[in-house]
Amino acid sequence: MIDNGLLVQMILGALLGLSVYLPMAAGQLSLATPAFYAVGGTLAALLSTQGGAQSAISLWSVLGEMLLAAGLTAGLALLVGLPVLRLRGIYLAIATIALVEIVRVAILNLPFTGGAAGIFGIPQPFQQPFGYVLFSGGVLAVCGWLFQRLEASRLGRSMAAIRDDELASRCMGIHTTRVKLTAFVASAVLAGITGVIAAHYLNTWNARQGSFDVAITTLAFVILGGSRNWLGPVIGGLLLTALPELLRPVGDLRLVLFGLVILLGPVFFPQGLITPALLERLGRWKP
Amino acid sequence: MIDTLLQTLLNGAASGGVYALVALGYTLIFSVLGVINFAQGALFSLGGYLTYLLLGGKIGVNGALPGWGLPIGLPLWLALLLAALGSGAVGLLVERVAFAPLRRRGAEPLLSLITSLGAGVVLVNLLQLLMGAEGYAFPQAAAGLAKLPESLLLGGARIRTIQVLLLAISALAVASLSLWLERSRSGKAMRAVAEDPTTATLLGINSVAVVRLAFLLSGMLAGLGGGLIGMSVSLAGPYFGISYGLKGLAVLVLGGLGSVPGAIVGGLVMGLAEALIPSEASGWRDALAFAILFAVLVLRPSGLLGRRQLEKV
Amino acid sequence: MSGPSSAVPMLELRQISRQFGGLQALSEVSFQVEQGEIFGLIGPNGAGKTTLFNLLSGVTPASSGTIHWRGQAMQGLSPDRHNRLGIARTFQNLRLFTELSVLENVLVALHRQPQGSKLDALFNTQHFRRRQSELRERALQLLEELGLADQAHRQASGLAYGDRRRLEIARALATAPALLLLDEPAAGMNPRENEQLCELLAQLRQRHQLTLVVIEHHVPLLMQLCQRLAVLDFGRLIALGTPEQIQRDPRVIEAYLGGSR
Repeated sequence: MIDNGLLVQMILGALLGLSVYLPMAAGQLSLATPAFYAVGGTLAALLSTQGGAQSAISLWSVLGEMLLAAGLTAGLALLVGLPVLRLRGIYLAIATIALVEIVRVAILNLPFTGGAAGIFGIPQPFQQPFGYVLFSGGVLAVCGWLFQRLEASRLGRSMAAIRDDELASRCMGIHTTRVKLTAFVASAVLAGITGVIAAHYLNTWNARQGSFDVAITTLAFVILGGSRNWLGPVIGGLLLTALPELLRPVGDLRLVLFGLVILLGPVFFPQGLITPALLERLGRWKP
Repeated sequence: MIDTLLQTLLNGAASGGVYALVALGYTLIFSVLGVINFAQGALFSLGGYLTYLLLGGKIGVNGALPGWGLPIGLPLWLALLLAALGSGAVGLLVERVAFAPLRRRGAEPLLSLITSLGAGVVLVNLLQLLMGAEGYAFPQAAAGLAKLPESLLLGGARIRTIQVLLLAISALAVASLSLWLERSRSGKAMRAVAEDPTTATLLGINSVAVVRLAFLLSGMLAGLGGGLIGMSVSLAGPYFGISYGLKGLAVLVLGGLGSVPGAIVGGLVMGLAEALIPSEASGWRDALAFAILFAVLVLRPSGLLGRRQLEKV
Repeated sequence: MSGPSSAVPMLELRQISRQFGGLQALSEVSFQVEQGEIFGLIGPNGAGKTTLFNLLSGVTPASSGTIHWRGQAMQGLSPDRHNRLGIARTFQNLRLFTELSVLENVLVALHRQPQGSKLDALFNTQHFRRRQSELRERALQLLEELGLADQAHRQASGLAYGDRRRLEIARALATAPALLLLDEPAAGMNPRENEQLCELLAQLRQRHQLTLVVIEHHVPLLMQLCQRLAVLDFGRLIALGTPEQIQRDPRVIEAYLGGSR
């Protein structure tokens, strides 16, 4: 029932969930993931359709696109983050929503991005969905390893402290703005890279890929899966991407479902599915 | 030249008035609770649809109730009023479901941003399910509107009557609200809670009631705004409110979080700025609000008239 | 005690004032704290003691006046900069990292200690693991001094009240400060615990070469502990001197016992 195509989408969902999770792990609510996702996807779409229509593209080119997308999104994130992360959390939340809209409108109106219809015929590095499964799965595995290492590192501890009490963290000498900025930029890069993969997989790309709806969806991944550990958004992303596809009636109510998750989650299941208690019981993570 | 300028200014002021309504809604809640109600945009849409139905409009085929409509056609002022009340009531529901439980638990304020966002999403999508996503133009017989001239002559310029009406109604709403805040007991109570919640409670002010009142009024403002836009432009699917809600956030930051005059001034500035964008670049109009928002955050985060917030240690 | 006293006091406040809206929280407060001293700060509720700590730790800026740290003026610096300069604090209402364990609370505060490079962390190298265990050692040592080592793996929110106060001290100590600001460290303690706290603070000062400024409501504790005291009332400094001098000062007696109180 879960074919390779759905599997790819599930993995992309997990990656986007991780992107939303990163700023949250440092106590910041950012809804900017769709903006950077859109930037990455648009970049890949533009670059790979430059020389006219081709049906295939080498994996190396895609990796190159990912590198460029990383640079572009990092730069954009710095530009947005530097002024805003000095301010209270609420300003970041608002600014990131604004960013999503600006990027969406820009992609819609810029002469070379294909307008409302978008860009078609994006070449494929893989002939079969299975190739995408391996590739994106590999990216997810690398991310998992990085996140696991993050938790054991000074940066990860600082992020957890800031999330708990930012003022106390500052009084302990932690460069809180620097840490928050790092999380924000990393989140942007992850979203951008995911956008590159998605653009190739979907074969077309338009402004709607980076809409407010995506912000809702990806936020729901983290709320459901749990925001205390990186496994949470991964599980949330996998599940909530698969669910609407597998349960047809639910599929039509997709957004209502996500809305309910976001509305009721923090009230009834504040820690989501993958709670620290659960992890402790699974015995693989230290208390 | 003068007439197009005048027309543009009036258009700007009219839409600025609506922005002010949305921003005021945010401001009321922000000043008593310190959080943003992300369901505001959804309440805006709701107001638009309720007004439409109360005017006797019929819903479309894409919804669950195709071709349905209320068997009544109320006069415009009544429809707007009742729709605003309806939105206000739903606003109270949002408070009950999305805000109160978190406040009781002493949870982080940012979490209610998330839950209110969820509430907004559920609301908008329910609207879409029930009424369909197509656009609705308000019935022309919309009591009284047909009797008014299409446009007025003012100082040599032709301006749409509807714009004047929009501006007049939102000005009236804003003025009433300001007067209420300034003079009435409950208004003063709300300002007291906004200023210093602890002292207000010590003075015997029921802050729970004040919070609920803030949500009611905020919902009413949003609902009225939605009705006005529906009346002057049309309803372009339930999501139209979301974009007003988002722009309202930009106005909020521009005016200064928590400042009532700021929301009004900010709304007008935003409306005028948007109107001044030439029609060739109209696609970019939507992005202007957010560009302004970023400029404010970089240059002067407290906005035009905001106060600097202090953190208690 | 410490070596030859320097001509420059460790901490100096000159005409410090702070107002919030219409409220004057501090008015022209001036005093000095010498290196190695245990300095007390007392006064009725609302006298401005915690506000003073907020100024000293960079949480709030002064409205006027200057603060000199080791001879250098500190103006408008961020809280993290204050800490890097050697000033650490605890909080009246406790601001522990409640979701983290006792050990992690201290580990976070050890962030300035060498931890290996980012690459080391990434590949979990030998070097990284050695540094991490050194950090743990250090953290456990501090917890041991504060009597919390046996609860190292407990979540901070699960600690008894007195233990939480001590964890805050351990955490502040981990930032290797020269000046430690303690905001009501004895709150909620019984007389026996007060005694223990006095001993503990004296030991900590000795072992870590600290200067202490302590806010306390429990005046007898400070009389025993401190070399000198400053008394605030309505944001003004009304007395400064040794415990004996303070006890006999008529203005202090008035502030605490007389008038409308």
